[in-house]
Amino acid sequence: MRSSRDEFAAGAREVSPVLVGLVPFGLVAGVAATASGLTPLQGFALSALSFSGIAQLIVCQLIAAKSPAIVVVAAGSIVSLRFVMYSASVSPHLAHLDRRWRALLAFLMTDQSFAMATARFSAPGDAGFRHWHTLGASITLYLAWQFTVAVGIAVGAQVPGSWSLDFAVVLTFIALLVPAVRTRADLGAAIVAGAVALIAAGLPYRLALVAASLAGIAAGMAMERSRRRRERVQ
Amino acid sequence: MTPWLTILAVAAATFLLRGSFILFANPHKFPHAFRQALQLVPAAVLAAIVAPGLAAPAGAVDLSPHNLRLLAGLVALAVAARIRHPLAPIAAGMASLWLLQGAIG
Repeated sequence: MRSSRDEFAAGAREVSPVLVGLVPFGLVAGVAATASGLTPLQGFALSALSFSGIAQLIVCQLIAAKSPAIVVVAAGSIVSLRFVMYSASVSPHLAHLDRRWRALLAFLMTDQSFAMATARFSAPGDAGFRHWHTLGASITLYLAWQFTVAVGIAVGAQVPGSWSLDFAVVLTFIALLVPAVRTRADLGAAIVAGAVALIAAGLPYRLALVAASLAGIAAGMAMERSRRRRERVQ
Repeated sequence: MTPWLTILAVAAATFLLRGSFILFANPHKFPHAFRQALQLVPAAVLAAIVAPGLAAPAGAVDLSPHNLRLLAGLVALAVAARIRHPLAPIAAGMASLWLLQGAIG
């Protein structure tokens, strides 16, 4: 049986390839915090407390655009709605842990650690200390993320614009989007959400993101329903 | 003062969303339609972020071949569909954009 220490070390080791992709993203998040007008301390606090690249970027963009605080918080929450799905998905595996453990793993949850946890918890073999695997991966991700964000804040506007480093952020989302499209309903949701995001691009305060996400989810659910109906008929 | 309140509110919101099911709910008690909607969230939200990043990088929608980010992004999408390593689309997309910028600019 693998000990808690073995699991922790394995989690930290297995997450390391992902760290390379994290570096440009973290730098951009740090640069965005500086560009938004937040002080370095505020920028770092945002990162240390929310630990979500997407939420940090949206929040920084909206603060830079002088959006009202309520809009900033709403947009940061909407882009974080995917965490609810992750939370639902891993909760059966964490149900036996005490509240402090569950709060810690929830606080540290990211797209990457969710993917790692799903793989580890579904593997065959004994399950005793698997939450230590998730903790090892999550803490490694957390430390690497905060370090690169801090470098981004410190470097600030000194990264030349011609490097187009902000494009790396869009590419990171592509790297997450493509594996997230597993079914036809996912594909329909993605296409409709992408199209609505462009049609609604003129809306203020990133409301296009909200409208597009809801439209995509509705389209995916409609596809899923009609597929069921066809299956019943056959 | 407002920036600090905003930061704390965003931190609380992200934590509560992450903790929603892990800390507070019994996932089996939620209606089927809600769970189905949750499954579609990543594809929909991520596509809603990616589409304007590629097709409207400067704010206005630009589907012409002069939009280098759209071209580089399509390369990245094609690479991501074939190679399942998260670095592949990032490397291919950045390399494409720099090459296109070098060739045109």
